[in-house]
Amino acid sequence: MSDFHNRSQTNARRSDYVWQYEYYDDEEPVSFEGLKAHRYSIVIGFWVGLAVFVIFMFFVLTLLTKTGAPHQENPDSAEKRHRPGSCLVDIVSPQDENDKAFSRPLLAESRTYFHFYINEEDQGKQKPEEERVRKHSGARAQRGGQGVGSSGVDEMEEEVEEAAEHKPINGLMEESNTDRESAFFSHFNIPNFVNLEHSSTLGDDDLLYEPSATLERQSHSHDAHCDIH
Amino acid sequence: MSTTTVNQTDCPEVKVPVTLFFTIGVVSLAENLLVVVSVILNRNLHSPMFCFICSLAAFNTMASLTKTWETLMIVLANVGQLEKKGSSEMKLDDVMDSLLCMCFVGSISSFLAIAVDRYITIFHALRYHNIMTMRRTKAILGVIWITCGVLAVLMVWFFQSKFIMICFVAFFVVSLAIICFFYFYMFMLARIHAGKIAALPSSSGGKFGRQRWRGSSMRGALTLTILFGAFVVCWTPFFLHLILIMVCPMNPYCECYRSLFELHVVLMMSHAAIDPAIYAFRSAELRHTFRKMLLCSDCKQRS
Repeated sequence: MSDFHNRSQTNARRSDYVWQYEYYDDEEPVSFEGLKAHRYSIVIGFWVGLAVFVIFMFFVLTLLTKTGAPHQENPDSAEKRHRPGSCLVDIVSPQDENDKAFSRPLLAESRTYFHFYINEEDQGKQKPEEERVRKHSGARAQRGGQGVGSSGVDEMEEEVEEAAEHKPINGLMEESNTDRESAFFSHFNIPNFVNLEHSSTLGDDDLLYEPSATLERQSHSHDAHCDIH
Repeated sequence: MSTTTVNQTDCPEVKVPVTLFFTIGVVSLAENLLVVVSVILNRNLHSPMFCFICSLAAFNTMASLTKTWETLMIVLANVGQLEKKGSSEMKLDDVMDSLLCMCFVGSISSFLAIAVDRYITIFHALRYHNIMTMRRTKAILGVIWITCGVLAVLMVWFFQSKFIMICFVAFFVVSLAIICFFYFYMFMLARIHAGKIAALPSSSGGKFGRQRWRGSSMRGALTLTILFGAFVVCWTPFFLHLILIMVCPMNPYCECYRSLFELHVVLMMSHAAIDPAIYAFRSAELRHTFRKMLLCSDCKQRS
Protein backbone atom coordinates (compact mmCIF):
# COMPACT_ATOMS: atom_id res chain seq x y z
CA MET A 1 0.00 0.00 0.00
CA SER A 2 2.71 2.42 0.96
CA ASP A 3 4.76 1.33 -2.07
CA PHE A 4 1.87 2.02 -4.36
CA HIS A 5 1.37 5.37 -2.67
CA ASN A 6 5.03 6.29 -3.07
CA ARG A 7 5.08 5.19 -6.71
CA SER A 8 2.04 7.27 -7.53
CA GLN A 9 3.67 10.27 -5.87
CA THR A 10 6.84 9.75 -7.92
CA ASN A 11 4.82 9.35 -11.11
CA ALA A 12 2.88 12.49 -10.34
CA ARG A 13 6.15 14.31 -9.72
CA ARG A 14 7.60 13.06 -13.00
CA SER A 15 4.58 14.20 -14.98
CA ASP A 16 4.80 17.57 -13.27
CA TYR A 17 8.25 18.07 -14.75
CA VAL A 18 7.19 17.79 -18.38
CA TRP A 19 6.07 21.38 -18.81
CA GLN A 20 8.36 23.15 -16.42
CA TYR A 21 11.17 25.49 -17.34
CA GLU A 22 14.31 23.65 -18.34
CA TYR A 23 16.67 24.27 -15.51
CA TYR A 24 14.08 23.49 -12.89
CA ASP A 25 14.03 19.88 -14.09
CA ASP A 26 17.04 18.91 -12.03
CA GLU A 27 15.66 20.03 -8.73
CA GLU A 28 13.25 18.48 -6.35
CA PRO A 29 10.19 20.55 -5.59
CA VAL A 30 10.80 22.97 -2.81
CA SER A 31 8.77 22.46 0.34
CA PHE A 32 6.96 25.41 1.73
CA GLU A 33 6.72 24.14 5.22
CA GLY A 34 7.20 26.32 8.21
CA LEU A 35 7.92 29.61 6.54
CA LYS A 36 8.47 32.27 9.19
CA ALA A 37 8.22 35.32 6.98
CA HIS A 38 6.02 36.06 4.02
CA ARG A 39 7.01 33.94 1.03
CA TYR A 40 7.65 36.92 -1.22
CA SER A 41 9.84 38.60 1.36
CA ILE A 42 12.97 38.54 -0.79
CA VAL A 43 11.08 40.12 -3.65
CA ILE A 44 9.60 42.84 -1.47
CA GLY A 45 12.88 43.45 0.33
CA PHE A 46 14.77 43.73 -2.94
CA TRP A 47 12.40 46.22 -4.54
CA VAL A 48 12.12 48.32 -1.40
CA GLY A 49 15.92 48.39 -1.17
CA LEU A 50 16.24 49.36 -4.82
CA ALA A 51 13.67 52.15 -4.49
CA VAL A 52 15.40 53.46 -1.37
CA PHE A 53 18.72 53.40 -3.18
CA VAL A 54 17.46 55.35 -6.18
CA ILE A 55 15.66 57.92 -4.06
CA PHE A 56 18.67 58.23 -1.76
CA MET A 57 20.91 58.80 -4.76
CA PHE A 58 18.58 61.49 -6.06
CA PHE A 59 18.48 63.24 -2.70
CA VAL A 60 22.24 63.08 -2.35
CA LEU A 61 22.61 64.68 -5.77
CA THR A 62 20.08 67.43 -5.06
CA LEU A 63 21.63 68.04 -1.66
CA LEU A 64 24.96 68.45 -3.37
CA THR A 65 23.43 71.04 -5.65
CA LYS A 66 21.92 72.99 -2.76
CA THR A 67 24.91 73.03 -0.43
CA GLY A 68 28.12 74.55 -1.67
CA ALA A 69 26.34 77.47 -3.28
CA PRO A 70 28.74 80.12 -4.54
CA HIS A 71 29.67 82.59 -1.80
CA GLN A 72 29.40 86.31 -2.29
CA GLU A 73 32.50 87.96 -3.68
CA ASN A 74 33.89 91.20 -2.20
CA PRO A 75 33.90 94.22 -4.50
CA ASP A 76 37.71 94.39 -4.20
CA SER A 77 38.28 90.83 -5.20
CA ALA A 78 35.69 91.32 -7.93
CA GLU A 79 37.76 94.18 -9.30
CA LYS A 80 40.90 92.08 -9.23
CA ARG A 81 39.19 89.26 -11.03
CA HIS A 82 37.73 91.60 -13.56
CA ARG A 83 40.99 93.12 -14.64
CA PRO A 84 42.77 90.00 -15.86
CA GLY A 85 39.67 89.12 -17.80
CA SER A 86 39.62 92.36 -19.67
CA CYS A 87 43.23 91.93 -20.70
CA LEU A 88 42.91 88.39 -21.90
CA VAL A 89 41.59 89.33 -25.30
CA ASP A 90 44.57 91.59 -25.85
CA ILE A 91 46.95 88.91 -24.73
CA VAL A 92 45.59 86.03 -26.69
CA SER A 93 44.53 87.56 -29.95
CA PRO A 94 47.92 88.88 -31.13
CA GLN A 95 49.21 85.34 -30.87
CA ASP A 96 46.51 84.19 -33.24
CA GLU A 97 48.41 84.31 -36.42
CA ASN A 98 51.80 83.29 -35.16
CA ASP A 99 51.21 80.42 -32.81
CA LYS A 100 51.25 77.13 -34.64
CA ALA A 101 50.06 75.27 -31.60
CA PHE A 102 46.75 77.03 -31.93
CA SER A 103 46.20 75.75 -35.39
CA ARG A 104 44.97 72.46 -34.00
CA PRO A 105 41.19 72.45 -33.92
CA LEU A 106 40.83 71.43 -30.31
CA LEU A 107 43.00 74.18 -29.00
CA ALA A 108 41.18 76.56 -31.25
CA GLU A 109 37.98 75.47 -29.60
CA SER A 110 39.40 76.02 -26.18
CA ARG A 111 40.54 79.42 -27.30
CA THR A 112 37.07 80.28 -28.51
CA TYR A 113 35.90 79.14 -25.14
CA PHE A 114 38.26 81.64 -23.54
CA HIS A 115 37.09 84.38 -25.83
CA PHE A 116 33.53 83.90 -24.82
CA TYR A 117 34.42 83.36 -21.21
CA ILE A 118 35.91 86.78 -21.36
CA ASN A 119 33.10 88.24 -23.36
CA GLU A 120 30.51 87.24 -20.84
CA GLU A 121 32.24 89.25 -18.17
CA ASP A 122 33.23 92.21 -20.13
CA GLN A 123 30.60 93.12 -22.63
CA GLY A 124 30.83 96.84 -22.94
CA LYS A 125 34.54 97.39 -23.32
CA GLN A 126 35.92 95.28 -26.06
CA LYS A 127 33.33 95.49 -28.81
CA PRO A 128 35.57 95.81 -31.89
CA GLU A 129 37.95 93.17 -30.58
CA GLU A 130 35.03 90.95 -29.85
CA GLU A 131 33.84 91.19 -33.41
CA ARG A 132 37.24 90.27 -34.75
CA VAL A 133 37.70 87.47 -32.26
CA ARG A 134 34.24 86.12 -32.91
CA LYS A 135 34.88 85.84 -36.62
CA HIS A 136 38.16 84.07 -35.99
CA SER A 137 36.59 81.66 -33.54
CA GLY A 138 33.61 81.08 -35.78
CA ALA A 139 35.83 80.04 -38.64
CA ARG A 140 38.01 77.84 -36.53
CA ALA A 141 35.15 76.24 -34.66
CA GLN A 142 33.60 75.42 -37.98
CA ARG A 143 36.68 73.56 -39.07
CA GLY A 144 37.39 72.04 -35.73
CA GLY A 145 34.35 70.94 -33.89
CA GLN A 146 32.56 68.40 -36.00
CA GLY A 147 31.07 66.05 -33.49
CA VAL A 148 31.32 68.72 -30.88
CA GLY A 149 29.32 71.17 -32.91
CA SER A 150 26.51 68.81 -33.54
CA SER A 151 26.20 68.10 -29.88
CA GLY A 152 26.34 71.67 -28.80
CA VAL A 153 23.08 72.54 -30.46
CA ASP A 154 21.16 70.77 -27.77
CA GLU A 155 22.65 73.02 -25.17
CA MET A 156 22.13 76.08 -27.27
CA GLU A 157 18.42 75.45 -27.44
CA GLU A 158 18.16 75.11 -23.70
CA GLU A 159 20.08 78.28 -23.13
CA VAL A 160 17.85 80.20 -25.49
CA GLU A 161 14.86 79.24 -23.43
CA GLU A 162 16.41 80.14 -20.12
CA ALA A 163 18.86 82.96 -20.09
CA ALA A 164 16.96 86.17 -20.64
CA GLU A 165 19.77 88.29 -19.34
CA HIS A 166 22.42 86.81 -21.57
CA LYS A 167 21.46 89.15 -24.38
CA PRO A 168 24.85 89.25 -26.06
CA ILE A 169 24.91 85.49 -26.28
CA ASN A 170 21.39 85.39 -27.62
CA GLY A 171 22.29 88.08 -30.09
CA LEU A 172 25.25 86.06 -31.21
CA MET A 173 23.11 82.99 -31.54
CA GLU A 174 20.70 84.82 -33.79
CA GLU A 175 23.57 85.78 -36.02
CA SER A 176 25.05 82.33 -36.51
CA ASN A 177 23.28 79.97 -38.81
CA THR A 178 25.20 76.76 -38.80
CA ASP A 179 25.23 74.28 -35.94
CA ARG A 180 28.96 74.28 -35.90
CA GLU A 181 29.27 77.95 -35.34
CA SER A 182 26.95 77.77 -32.42
CA ALA A 183 28.98 74.97 -30.90
CA PHE A 184 31.22 77.32 -29.01
CA PHE A 185 28.27 79.05 -27.38
CA SER A 186 27.67 75.83 -25.56
CA HIS A 187 31.15 76.04 -24.11
CA PHE A 188 29.77 78.48 -21.61
CA ASN A 189 27.19 76.23 -20.28
CA ILE A 190 29.22 74.24 -17.89
CA PRO A 191 26.34 73.80 -15.43
CA ASN A 192 24.38 72.02 -18.12
CA PHE A 193 27.04 69.66 -19.27
CA VAL A 194 25.22 66.61 -17.95
CA ASN A 195 22.17 67.54 -19.98
CA LEU A 196 24.35 67.98 -23.01
CA GLU A 197 25.05 64.28 -22.89
CA HIS A 198 27.46 64.66 -25.74
CA SER A 199 29.02 67.86 -24.68
CA SER A 200 32.47 68.49 -25.72
CA THR A 201 35.30 70.45 -24.38
CA LEU A 202 33.74 71.68 -21.20
CA GLY A 203 34.33 71.88 -17.61
CA ASP A 204 37.90 70.74 -17.50
CA ASP A 205 40.04 71.89 -14.67
CA ASP A 206 42.78 72.60 -17.15
CA LEU A 207 40.58 74.92 -19.11
CA LEU A 208 39.62 77.17 -16.26
CA TYR A 209 42.42 77.08 -13.81
CA GLU A 210 45.81 76.37 -15.28
CA PRO A 211 45.66 78.69 -18.26
CA SER A 212 44.06 81.40 -16.17
CA ALA A 213 47.01 81.19 -13.79
CA THR A 214 49.46 81.69 -16.63
CA LEU A 215 47.33 84.43 -18.07
CA GLU A 216 47.20 86.18 -14.74
CA ARG A 217 50.97 86.17 -14.66
CA GLN A 218 51.00 87.63 -18.14
CA SER A 219 48.36 90.14 -17.16
CA HIS A 220 50.66 91.64 -14.59
CA SER A 221 53.15 92.42 -17.28
CA HIS A 222 50.39 93.88 -19.38
CA ASP A 223 49.00 96.04 -16.63
CA ALA A 224 50.21 99.22 -18.18
CA HIS A 225 48.76 98.17 -21.50
CA CYS A 226 45.43 97.50 -19.86
CA ASP A 227 45.35 100.77 -17.99
CA ILE A 228 45.33 102.61 -21.25
CA HIS A 229 42.10 100.84 -22.14
CA MET B 1 5.81 14.14 6.67
CA SER B 2 2.89 15.43 4.69
CA THR B 3 3.12 14.68 1.03
CA THR B 4 0.37 16.98 -0.12
CA THR B 5 2.50 20.16 -0.19
CA VAL B 6 5.49 18.53 -1.88
CA ASN B 7 3.98 18.60 -5.36
CA GLN B 8 2.61 22.08 -5.05
CA THR B 9 4.46 25.27 -5.08
CA ASP B 10 3.01 28.28 -3.33
CA CYS B 11 4.85 30.57 -5.69
CA PRO B 12 3.67 29.65 -9.17
CA GLU B 13 5.58 31.12 -12.04
CA VAL B 14 4.23 34.48 -13.03
CA LYS B 15 3.42 34.39 -16.70
CA VAL B 16 3.67 37.57 -18.69
CA PRO B 17 1.18 37.81 -21.57
CA VAL B 18 2.77 37.27 -24.95
CA THR B 19 1.32 40.50 -26.33
CA LEU B 20 3.39 42.49 -23.83
CA PHE B 21 6.57 40.81 -25.00
CA PHE B 22 5.69 41.46 -28.61
CA THR B 23 4.76 45.10 -28.00
CA ILE B 24 7.92 45.93 -26.11
CA GLY B 25 10.01 43.98 -28.59
CA VAL B 26 8.58 45.74 -31.63
CA VAL B 27 8.76 49.22 -30.07
CA SER B 28 12.33 48.68 -28.94
CA LEU B 29 13.29 47.29 -32.34
CA ALA B 30 11.79 50.26 -34.18
CA GLU B 31 13.40 52.89 -31.96
CA ASN B 32 16.87 51.38 -31.94
CA LEU B 33 16.81 50.66 -35.65
CA LEU B 34 15.91 54.30 -36.29
CA VAL B 35 18.80 55.43 -34.11
CA VAL B 36 21.25 53.18 -35.96
CA VAL B 37 20.02 54.32 -39.38
CA SER B 38 20.07 58.00 -38.35
CA VAL B 39 23.62 57.81 -37.09
CA ILE B 40 24.80 56.02 -40.21
CA LEU B 41 23.06 58.37 -42.63
CA ASN B 42 24.03 61.68 -41.04
CA ARG B 43 27.67 62.66 -41.58
CA ASN B 44 27.60 65.06 -38.66
CA LEU B 45 27.03 62.18 -36.32
CA HIS B 46 30.18 60.29 -37.29
CA SER B 47 31.96 61.12 -34.08
CA PRO B 48 33.15 58.82 -31.28
CA MET B 49 30.32 59.52 -28.90
CA PHE B 50 27.68 58.84 -31.53
CA CYS B 51 29.50 55.71 -32.63
CA PHE B 52 29.17 54.34 -29.12
CA ILE B 53 25.51 55.29 -28.98
CA CYS B 54 24.99 53.62 -32.35
CA SER B 55 26.70 50.47 -31.07
CA LEU B 56 24.43 50.46 -28.03
CA ALA B 57 21.40 50.85 -30.27
CA ALA B 58 22.64 48.02 -32.50
CA PHE B 59 22.99 45.68 -29.53
CA ASN B 60 19.53 46.64 -28.33
CA THR B 61 18.12 46.04 -31.80
CA MET B 62 19.62 42.57 -31.90
CA ALA B 63 18.39 41.83 -28.38
CA SER B 64 14.81 42.86 -29.11
CA LEU B 65 14.84 41.00 -32.42
CA THR B 66 16.12 37.84 -30.76
CA LYS B 67 13.73 38.09 -27.84
CA THR B 68 10.74 38.69 -30.11
CA TRP B 69 11.76 35.73 -32.23
CA GLU B 70 12.13 33.57 -29.14
CA THR B 71 8.69 34.63 -27.91
CA LEU B 72 7.29 33.67 -31.29
CA MET B 73 8.95 30.26 -31.07
CA ILE B 74 7.56 29.73 -27.56
CA VAL B 75 4.08 30.66 -28.75
CA LEU B 76 4.36 28.24 -31.65
CA ALA B 77 5.64 25.54 -29.31
CA ASN B 78 2.76 26.10 -26.92
CA VAL B 79 0.28 25.92 -29.76
CA GLY B 80 1.86 22.69 -30.88
CA GLN B 81 3.53 23.64 -34.11
CA LEU B 82 7.00 23.07 -32.70
CA GLU B 83 8.39 20.33 -30.54
CA LYS B 84 9.82 21.58 -27.30
CA LYS B 85 12.54 19.01 -26.91
CA GLY B 86 13.42 18.47 -30.52
CA SER B 87 17.12 18.69 -31.38
CA SER B 88 16.80 21.47 -33.94
CA GLU B 89 14.67 23.48 -31.53
CA MET B 90 17.23 23.00 -28.79
CA LYS B 91 19.98 24.17 -31.11
CA LEU B 92 17.92 27.17 -32.11
CA ASP B 93 17.28 27.85 -28.46
CA ASP B 94 21.03 27.76 -27.82
CA VAL B 95 21.67 30.13 -30.70
CA MET B 96 19.10 32.57 -29.38
CA ASP B 97 20.44 32.33 -25.85
CA SER B 98 23.95 33.06 -27.03
CA LEU B 99 22.72 36.02 -29.09
CA LEU B 100 20.89 37.35 -26.05
CA CYS B 101 23.97 36.92 -23.87
CA MET B 102 26.02 38.70 -26.51
CA CYS B 103 23.57 41.58 -26.55
CA PHE B 104 23.48 41.88 -22.79
CA VAL B 105 27.24 41.92 -22.45
CA GLY B 106 27.44 44.26 -25.43
CA SER B 107 24.93 46.69 -23.94
CA ILE B 108 26.80 46.85 -20.69
CA SER B 109 30.11 47.32 -22.53
CA SER B 110 28.56 50.11 -24.58
CA PHE B 111 27.38 51.84 -21.43
CA LEU B 112 30.91 51.59 -20.10
CA ALA B 113 32.33 52.96 -23.33
CA ILE B 114 29.90 55.89 -23.30
CA ALA B 115 30.76 56.69 -19.68
CA VAL B 116 34.50 56.56 -20.39
CA ASP B 117 34.05 58.72 -23.48
CA ARG B 118 32.15 61.37 -21.53
CA TYR B 119 34.76 61.21 -18.80
CA ILE B 120 37.55 61.85 -21.28
CA THR B 121 35.51 64.61 -22.88
CA ILE B 122 35.36 66.44 -19.60
CA PHE B 123 38.61 65.68 -17.87
CA HIS B 124 40.94 65.60 -20.83
CA ALA B 125 39.06 68.03 -22.98
CA LEU B 126 42.08 69.60 -24.60
CA ARG B 127 43.49 66.26 -25.67
CA TYR B 128 40.16 64.64 -26.45
CA HIS B 129 40.56 64.66 -30.20
CA ASN B 130 43.98 63.04 -29.87
CA ILE B 131 42.91 60.45 -27.34
CA MET B 132 39.65 59.45 -28.98
CA THR B 133 40.31 59.36 -32.69
CA MET B 134 37.92 57.64 -35.08
CA ARG B 135 40.42 54.86 -35.66
CA ARG B 136 40.63 54.13 -31.97
CA THR B 137 36.86 54.27 -31.68
CA LYS B 138 36.49 51.72 -34.45
CA ALA B 139 39.12 49.53 -32.83
CA ILE B 140 37.34 49.72 -29.48
CA LEU B 141 34.01 48.86 -31.09
CA GLY B 142 35.59 45.95 -32.97
CA VAL B 143 37.08 44.62 -29.74
CA ILE B 144 33.73 44.96 -27.95
CA TRP B 145 31.80 43.12 -30.67
CA ILE B 146 34.31 40.30 -31.06
CA THR B 147 34.68 39.83 -27.30
CA CYS B 148 30.92 39.76 -26.86
CA GLY B 149 30.52 37.19 -29.59
CA VAL B 150 33.19 34.91 -28.12
CA LEU B 151 31.91 35.33 -24.58
CA ALA B 152 28.36 34.62 -25.64
CA VAL B 153 29.30 31.34 -27.28
CA LEU B 154 31.38 30.30 -24.29
CA MET B 155 28.66 31.26 -21.85
CA VAL B 156 26.01 29.22 -23.51
CA TRP B 157 28.20 26.16 -23.98
CA PHE B 158 29.35 26.18 -20.39
CA PHE B 159 26.30 27.69 -18.77
CA GLN B 160 25.94 24.73 -16.43
CA SER B 161 29.26 25.61 -14.89
CA LYS B 162 28.92 27.98 -11.98
CA PHE B 163 32.16 29.71 -12.85
CA ILE B 164 30.65 31.25 -15.97
CA MET B 165 27.67 32.55 -14.07
CA ILE B 166 29.94 34.01 -11.40
CA CYS B 167 31.95 35.74 -14.13
CA PHE B 168 28.79 37.13 -15.68
CA VAL B 169 27.56 38.53 -12.38
CA ALA B 170 31.00 39.85 -11.47
CA PHE B 171 31.23 41.61 -14.84
CA PHE B 172 27.89 43.27 -14.20
CA VAL B 173 28.80 44.42 -10.69
CA VAL B 174 32.19 45.76 -11.79
CA SER B 175 30.62 47.63 -14.72
CA LEU B 176 28.00 49.08 -12.42
CA ALA B 177 30.65 50.30 -10.02
CA ILE B 178 32.75 51.84 -12.79
CA ILE B 179 29.78 53.59 -14.41
CA CYS B 180 28.65 54.85 -11.00
CA PHE B 181 32.11 56.21 -10.27
CA PHE B 182 32.50 57.95 -13.63
CA TYR B 183 29.15 59.67 -13.59
CA PHE B 184 29.32 60.78 -9.99
CA TYR B 185 32.83 62.12 -10.44
CA MET B 186 31.74 64.04 -13.53
CA PHE B 187 28.74 65.39 -11.69
CA MET B 188 30.86 66.53 -8.74
CA LEU B 189 33.28 68.33 -10.97
CA ALA B 190 30.53 69.93 -13.01
CA ARG B 191 28.95 71.19 -9.81
CA ILE B 192 32.23 72.73 -8.68
CA HIS B 193 32.75 74.39 -12.04
CA ALA B 194 29.21 75.64 -12.16
CA GLY B 195 29.59 77.07 -8.69
CA LYS B 196 32.75 78.91 -9.61
CA ILE B 197 31.25 80.35 -12.74
CA ALA B 198 28.12 81.45 -10.96
CA ALA B 199 30.29 83.04 -8.29
CA LEU B 200 32.12 85.20 -10.77
CA PRO B 201 31.03 88.80 -11.05
CA SER B 202 29.22 88.94 -14.31
CA SER B 203 26.40 90.86 -15.88
CA SER B 204 24.04 88.14 -14.79
CA GLY B 205 24.52 89.22 -11.21
CA GLY B 206 24.93 87.15 -8.12
CA LYS B 207 21.39 86.09 -7.38
CA PHE B 208 20.25 85.11 -10.82
CA GLY B 209 23.52 83.38 -11.51
CA ARG B 210 23.04 81.28 -8.42
CA GLN B 211 19.48 80.45 -9.41
CA ARG B 212 20.57 79.39 -12.85
CA TRP B 213 23.33 77.32 -11.35
CA ARG B 214 20.92 75.59 -9.02
CA GLY B 215 18.35 75.00 -11.70
CA SER B 216 20.84 73.48 -14.08
CA SER B 217 22.42 71.41 -11.34
CA MET B 218 18.98 70.11 -10.43
CA ARG B 219 18.50 69.09 -14.02
CA GLY B 220 21.89 67.44 -13.96
CA ALA B 221 20.91 65.54 -10.83
CA LEU B 222 17.66 64.43 -12.43
CA THR B 223 19.38 63.34 -15.63
CA LEU B 224 21.95 61.36 -13.73
CA THR B 225 19.31 59.74 -11.54
CA ILE B 226 17.27 58.70 -14.54
CA LEU B 227 20.28 57.36 -16.40
CA PHE B 228 21.77 55.42 -13.55
CA GLY B 229 18.47 54.53 -11.92
CA ALA B 230 17.03 53.04 -15.09
CA PHE B 231 20.17 50.95 -15.57
CA VAL B 232 20.08 49.64 -12.01
CA VAL B 233 16.32 49.02 -11.86
CA CYS B 234 16.19 47.18 -15.15
CA TRP B 235 19.32 45.04 -14.90
CA THR B 236 19.70 44.16 -11.22
CA PRO B 237 16.64 41.88 -10.83
CA PHE B 238 17.89 39.49 -13.50
CA PHE B 239 21.35 39.34 -12.00
CA LEU B 240 19.96 38.76 -8.53
CA HIS B 241 18.05 35.89 -10.12
CA LEU B 242 21.35 34.43 -11.35
CA ILE B 243 22.92 34.90 -7.92
CA LEU B 244 20.00 33.19 -6.21
CA ILE B 245 20.19 30.23 -8.57
CA MET B 246 23.77 29.71 -7.53
CA VAL B 247 23.42 30.47 -3.85
CA CYS B 248 20.09 29.05 -2.71
CA PRO B 249 18.44 26.76 -5.25
CA MET B 250 16.35 24.97 -2.64
CA ASN B 251 15.27 27.83 -0.46
CA PRO B 252 11.53 28.62 -0.73
CA TYR B 253 12.09 32.35 -0.49
CA CYS B 254 14.54 32.18 -3.37
CA GLU B 255 12.08 30.06 -5.30
CA CYS B 256 9.45 32.74 -4.91
CA TYR B 257 11.85 35.31 -6.25
CA ARG B 258 12.78 33.06 -9.16
CA SER B 259 9.13 32.59 -10.06
CA LEU B 260 9.15 36.21 -11.29
CA PHE B 261 11.73 35.44 -13.97
CA GLU B 262 9.60 36.55 -16.90
CA LEU B 263 8.91 39.92 -15.26
CA HIS B 264 12.63 40.47 -14.95
CA VAL B 265 13.15 39.65 -18.60
CA VAL B 266 10.40 42.16 -19.47
CA LEU B 267 12.29 44.76 -17.43
CA MET B 268 15.46 44.13 -19.39
CA MET B 269 13.63 44.43 -22.67
CA SER B 270 11.99 47.66 -21.57
CA HIS B 271 15.43 49.02 -20.78
CA ALA B 272 16.34 48.38 -24.40
CA ALA B 273 13.23 50.36 -25.31
CA ILE B 274 13.97 53.37 -23.08
CA ASP B 275 17.69 53.54 -23.89
CA PRO B 276 17.17 55.65 -27.01
CA ALA B 277 15.19 58.17 -24.97
CA ILE B 278 17.97 58.43 -22.38
CA TYR B 279 20.99 58.47 -24.63
CA ALA B 280 20.21 59.07 -28.25
CA PHE B 281 17.20 61.37 -28.42
CA ARG B 282 18.73 63.91 -26.06
CA SER B 283 20.85 65.10 -28.92
CA ALA B 284 19.10 67.74 -31.01
CA GLU B 285 21.10 66.74 -34.07
CA LEU B 286 19.82 63.18 -33.86
CA ARG B 287 16.25 64.36 -33.33
CA HIS B 288 16.63 66.62 -36.33
CA THR B 289 17.89 63.74 -38.49
CA PHE B 290 15.07 61.60 -37.21
CA ARG B 291 12.45 64.17 -38.16
CA LYS B 292 13.99 64.67 -41.56
CA MET B 293 13.89 60.94 -42.22
CA LEU B 294 10.27 60.60 -41.20
CA LEU B 295 9.10 63.78 -42.91
CA CYS B 296 11.01 63.05 -46.08
CA SER B 297 9.33 59.67 -46.36
CA ASP B 298 6.03 61.54 -46.10
CA CYS B 299 7.19 64.02 -48.72
CA LYS B 300 8.07 61.23 -51.13
CA GLN B 301 4.67 59.67 -50.67
CA ARG B 302 2.86 62.93 -51.36
CA SER B 303 4.88 63.98 -54.42
